[in-house]
Amino acid sequence: MDPYSAEGELINIFNFFHQGQYQEVVDFDTSSLSPENHLPARLLQLRAQIQLGHAEDVEADVQGEKEPALIAVGALAQQTLGKGESAVSTIEKLAAEHGDNGAIQVIGGTVLAAAGKFEDALALLSRQEGNLEAVALIVHIHLQQNRTDLALKEVNAARRWAQDNLLVNLAEAWVGLRQGGDKYQQSFYVFEELAQAPATSSVQSLVSQAVSELHLGRTEEAQAALDQASSKGDNEAAVVANQTVLDTISGRDAKLSLEKLGTVAPHHQLLTDIAEKEDLFNKAAAKYRSVAA
Amino acid sequence: MSSSSGMLTKFESKSSRAKGIAFHPKRPWILVSLHSSTIQLWDYRMGTLIDRFEEHDGPVRGVDFHKTQPLFVSGGDDYKIKVWSYVTRRCLFTLNGHLDYIRTVFFHHELPWIISASDDQTIRIWNWQNRSLLCTMTGHNHYAMCAQFHPKEDLVVSASLDQSVRVWDISGLRKKHSAPTSMSFEEQVARANNQTDMFGNTDAVVKFVLEGHDRGVNWVAFHPTMPLIVSAGDDRLVKLWRMSETKAWEVDTCRGHFQNANGCLFHPHQDLILSAGEDKTIRVWDLNKRTAVQTVKRENDRFWVIAAHPEINLFAAGHDNGVMVFKLERERPASTVYQNNLFYITKEKHVRMYDFQKNVESPTLLSLKKLGSPWTPPRTLSYNPAERSILVTSPADGGCYELINLPRDGSGAIEPTESKRGQGNSAIFVARNRFAVLNTATQTVDIKDLSNNTTRSFKPPVGTTDIYFGGTGNLLIITPTAVHLYDIQQKKSVGELAVNGVKYVVWSNDGLYAALLSKHNVTIVTKTLEQVSTLHETIRIKSACWDDAGILLYSTLNHVKYTLLNGDNGIVRTLDQTVYLVRVKGRNVYCLDRAAKPKILQIDPTEYRFKLALVKRNYEEMLHIIQTSSLVGQSIISYLQKKGYPEIALQFVQDPTTRFELAIECGNLEVAVEMAKQLDRPKLWQRLSAEALSHGNHQVVEMCYQKLKQFDKLSFLYLSTGDNAKLARMAKIAEHRGDFTSRFQNALYLGEVEDRIQMFKEIDLYPLAYLTAKSNGLEEECQSILEATGLTEDQLTIPKLGEGLTPPKPVVPTYKASWPTKATSQSFFEKALLGQMEGLSLENEPAAATNGFDDAADETAAAAGGLDDGDEDEDAAGWDMGEDIVPEVEEGFVNVESTDAGGAGSSEADLWARNSPLAVDHVAGGSFESAMQLLNRQVGAVSFEPLKPRFMEVYTASKTYLPASAGLPPLINYVRRNPEETDPRKVLPIIPRDLEYLATNDLQRGYDSMKANKLEDGLKIFKNILHTILVNAVGSESEVAEAKKLITSASEYAVAMSIELGRRKLGTNDVVAKDPAKLKRSLELSAYFTIPKIEVPHRQLALLNAMNLAMRSKNYNSALSFANRILANGGASKIVESAKKTKAQCERNPTDAVEVEFDQFAEFDICAASHTPIYAGAAFEVCAFDGAKYHSKYKGSVCVVCDVCEVGKHGSGLKLFA
Repeated sequence: MDPYSAEGELINIFNFFHQGQYQEVVDFDTSSLSPENHLPARLLQLRAQIQLGHAEDVEADVQGEKEPALIAVGALAQQTLGKGESAVSTIEKLAAEHGDNGAIQVIGGTVLAAAGKFEDALALLSRQEGNLEAVALIVHIHLQQNRTDLALKEVNAARRWAQDNLLVNLAEAWVGLRQGGDKYQQSFYVFEELAQAPATSSVQSLVSQAVSELHLGRTEEAQAALDQASSKGDNEAAVVANQTVLDTISGRDAKLSLEKLGTVAPHHQLLTDIAEKEDLFNKAAAKYRSVAA
Repeated sequence: MSSSSGMLTKFESKSSRAKGIAFHPKRPWILVSLHSSTIQLWDYRMGTLIDRFEEHDGPVRGVDFHKTQPLFVSGGDDYKIKVWSYVTRRCLFTLNGHLDYIRTVFFHHELPWIISASDDQTIRIWNWQNRSLLCTMTGHNHYAMCAQFHPKEDLVVSASLDQSVRVWDISGLRKKHSAPTSMSFEEQVARANNQTDMFGNTDAVVKFVLEGHDRGVNWVAFHPTMPLIVSAGDDRLVKLWRMSETKAWEVDTCRGHFQNANGCLFHPHQDLILSAGEDKTIRVWDLNKRTAVQTVKRENDRFWVIAAHPEINLFAAGHDNGVMVFKLERERPASTVYQNNLFYITKEKHVRMYDFQKNVESPTLLSLKKLGSPWTPPRTLSYNPAERSILVTSPADGGCYELINLPRDGSGAIEPTESKRGQGNSAIFVARNRFAVLNTATQTVDIKDLSNNTTRSFKPPVGTTDIYFGGTGNLLIITPTAVHLYDIQQKKSVGELAVNGVKYVVWSNDGLYAALLSKHNVTIVTKTLEQVSTLHETIRIKSACWDDAGILLYSTLNHVKYTLLNGDNGIVRTLDQTVYLVRVKGRNVYCLDRAAKPKILQIDPTEYRFKLALVKRNYEEMLHIIQTSSLVGQSIISYLQKKGYPEIALQFVQDPTTRFELAIECGNLEVAVEMAKQLDRPKLWQRLSAEALSHGNHQVVEMCYQKLKQFDKLSFLYLSTGDNAKLARMAKIAEHRGDFTSRFQNALYLGEVEDRIQMFKEIDLYPLAYLTAKSNGLEEECQSILEATGLTEDQLTIPKLGEGLTPPKPVVPTYKASWPTKATSQSFFEKALLGQMEGLSLENEPAAATNGFDDAADETAAAAGGLDDGDEDEDAAGWDMGEDIVPEVEEGFVNVESTDAGGAGSSEADLWARNSPLAVDHVAGGSFESAMQLLNRQVGAVSFEPLKPRFMEVYTASKTYLPASAGLPPLINYVRRNPEETDPRKVLPIIPRDLEYLATNDLQRGYDSMKANKLEDGLKIFKNILHTILVNAVGSESEVAEAKKLITSASEYAVAMSIELGRRKLGTNDVVAKDPAKLKRSLELSAYFTIPKIEVPHRQLALLNAMNLAMRSKNYNSALSFANRILANGGASKIVESAKKTKAQCERNPTDAVEVEFDQFAEFDICAASHTPIYAGAAFEVCAFDGAKYHSKYKGSVCVVCDVCEVGKHGSGLKLFA
């Protein structure tokens, strides 16, 4: 039996992880799990630690482990700490030897994709067999590459064998935000359901809800969701980044949010993107000034 | 007691007196035997008479269906029992033996027996298989009125006018007939001894004789499960009896009928007794308390018989003028859906919840036992998620409602601790803290708060029967002939739609549409109550729910059907029992059955999804559906054809004739030719040639003409395409055929004079030959003809000759290629299908053809571009996607086959730039360079630095960051200003601070700063407005005009403010007063400040300023003119007062002390750069964007108003709306 399936004992910790409730994952009592589920649970906890910003602890924790999946988590931690190259090479080695291992696929895929090696990541992930995490990653990568069509296909395929799994719903919602139209509302429902239920609410789901509201043009509701999210405290970058966008859209001065983002996550995409575009602007504008002068 | 509450009539027939009734156990049929000797078979669901059986002589009093066989039995006043087959519609045989009227006949539930009761005082049991009389039961000493088998045991109960009810034991009869061989000799002897009775009827022995009625007993029935008997008699009583193994006794009497009680029975499922009598009533009694629960009265008809359906909750009663089929209570369980939960009330009046996601039923949340009367189920349920409370209505006691909080978790059937109740027929939540209650008797609607206090109350439109939620702040009010959209705040109807008999309203998930259900109609309306479509069903519509994609699924009595918004509908599946749909999710339809149990029905949504995809032009989806499912069949083909998509239909068809027709219809000549060749019929070639001609595909035309042997058409075709070689061949062929007309024609086309002369000579038309030769100047030939005919030239009288005919020379070898005038509508769809097939053969990657919407679309564009020059024919326009693509083929074009399926696609931001000619959309897409180019071209923008904040603002607003997979960067999504759009070629980015925002925010702030005399701030604000509009988009042409107005206004203010600021820079009043040059300039500027066309109150400020300055400098004349202008404008009294005073002062001495360059009577504009007048007629330059005017010398400089555009550069004009 699939331990992540609705009947499996890992379903809760698994869902916690993907709902972005990392602290719950870390606090999860794994002692009652059956022995074969100890490793998957530990992996989830380690990954949650990384998400919570304790990558160094994780790296130390798995030091010297022989289990390939744990080595992979170590690589993930390294990458988070900025040691991307060694992480990638570790993963590449692992992928060659243990490419059939679901955990390796997922963690490896994450590391490779984060390093921008999308092709390699997809190649590794495509070896999955009924691994929803891998599917979600594939969808994510496709979307990152703006291949909504492929992402949608992936979701639909998964939908066929994993009817109503959380990850499938989430992945579908991600795709929905790219498709737009009625799909915005559908995606909103998915996020809202997670965000508004106390048991599943997390910064991630609240931000997702806010984002979907934003796409639906409901700025006030989006603001409410973001306020809710920021009151939770952690993962500020996601909140602040979207707060910046929301401020801009509603005609408010986004300077404060932008500055806050600078302190919270100086390397956030939004900031690098803006810097890049400012540069582009100056270059493009310069051409005209020379003409005008 | 009211007669209407509860009971629902489902069917009524008109006939003569109905004496016997029987329900078919499975089908919706009812047999009715009439006093007039006819037996009718009705379908009570459709209301149709299926058959009539007329072989009895005189009244027929008893009928019964066989449980399993297609048989029924009847007994009449002709003493005959007839067994019929309703399949062959014949009487199979007749059982004779009774000596008087037969009152009732019934089949045994398992044995092949029939029991009959007759006025000959006997009850007889018959075997209908060997058609023999098994047993005659005597004992009653008056007419036997009714006899029935016990449903399980070997018992018979009978009623007689001798005032007794008898229970008979027929186990002996069963033993004797079921296993005759297994009896031992002794047993047989014993039995034989038993049968010593001289009438031979010990097979049935009387077990109990029940006496209690003091008149004749008309009817008697066993309880289906309990040892109970109910009887009805002419003493107007209904009596309940109980029996044990050894004895039977009277339990109680139900008193109420005031005339003979003719029929009675036990409710098959509930503890109820039903009885019918000649007092024209049907009465319902509580079995346990023997109290009357309900009475139904008919005006004129006495009831003669009553029957119950064995399975479902239906009853029938026969009366003087026919039959009525009815049920006692609504079976529709009250339910409501909120998000993923269904709340519903079970038959036990328990509130439960069903979770669609987990597919589980909750335990009972609440018990509503006390609501209404015990036998009346609640009618509606409304749920308030904010308060987690429910609002339940019940028709009991003339209609009441109850507001109850749900407990957090279901802990069993607890009674609600606290509830608020009141009178009302309908009650629904209309907001988080408000609900509406309709009282039909007083015709009022009350809006109440959660503590059940009325906050407002109004009179709905006349005849209101029901209310439904109508979107925020609105109610849908149902009257028998119309639906009103009622605004609760304004207390008035804001919309009305004439629809008859609406019973239910179902809102779509997104709240944009509602389906109004009436008995036989579904009307789909928008949220503003505009009718979208309507459809009619011949059988009853029970329920409906919306798919997420905007498809309405509805259930009738026996089908689940769908309808699209445009009214296209079809069957999804059949139903074997009535259900009430509550939710559609994927392939699952969730519904409640009549027992209020949630059920999941599997459906195949392919057909409607396909049709929806077709309507939405979602070709990808269609393609996907076609490939993954077996969607074929005539219906879909004709549907496609009817809807104008023959090219898609073409994909489904094999039959050559149909294929040909479709191909012609969609102009697919290739396929048409192929099919025509296969079929090879002249008629088809004819049509093909006509079609091909209209396409300009003359090669196909040629082939058709060849096939049709239409030589002259062919010749003309060659002539018109300039194919002289073939024309010559045609001449040869004509010669060969000996067809001179054709030969002549070809020769004429070819301009071959000799050939023509030769031909004339051959057919002895020498005069014509001579004339031809002569007119073409062939003198030698003339001579030879003359010689041949032996004539001389003088003998001939020749008409005046014209010039010889020279046929046109082909300039272009048109015949080498077809010139399509009509786009072949090879669709995206076809292409994709073809592409896909190739893709499949090459690699296992089904994405090859469909990756990225734009790729394939661009290819179509390229293909279409190559074939035609925008001359789209209407036929193709519906499908061809080429026409509305922004032609950026060079960069966007990607060869479909060679696309790497795994590669990155273009982001939506890239699409924006492609989709829109507006600079702002390019900015949002990050394509700053092209945006600048556009602005440069449109308004001559050259200095972009001031636009930088706006650029960054627009750009930043366009993207959100969705946290998705752990460990990966957030997914970037693109915010659209048209969120309802899904076509990637039409999506456009959101624009922060649009026109409306500017007009309501920034502009007001600008005005405020003017009033507050904060001119530096004001200047900044107005410049910012200009920059924001420059990079912006509006929604319509009319908004463009508004935007222009705003630009002009902002520009005027900016100029005005900078003039005054310029004046203030000259120094304080004292400094200026000392320097004559400065003083002059100061006075001039103050005067110019009054020139720009700013709002009147603001102009007054400028004028006041100018007037005071002029006064101070003793320029009384100028001051006077300013004062006059102030007075002319009127307005604020303080300014006007001071102007009046000034005027009075100045009029005494209207002279100026300081000469200034300001002619109050001249017309002039102010140069924005130098702040000096540009008099009318003088040359000037303008800024193409804001319209600020400049002296010509400033041409080429950057406009000081907007700081962006080059003065005097004329662009194509700012584009804000595509």
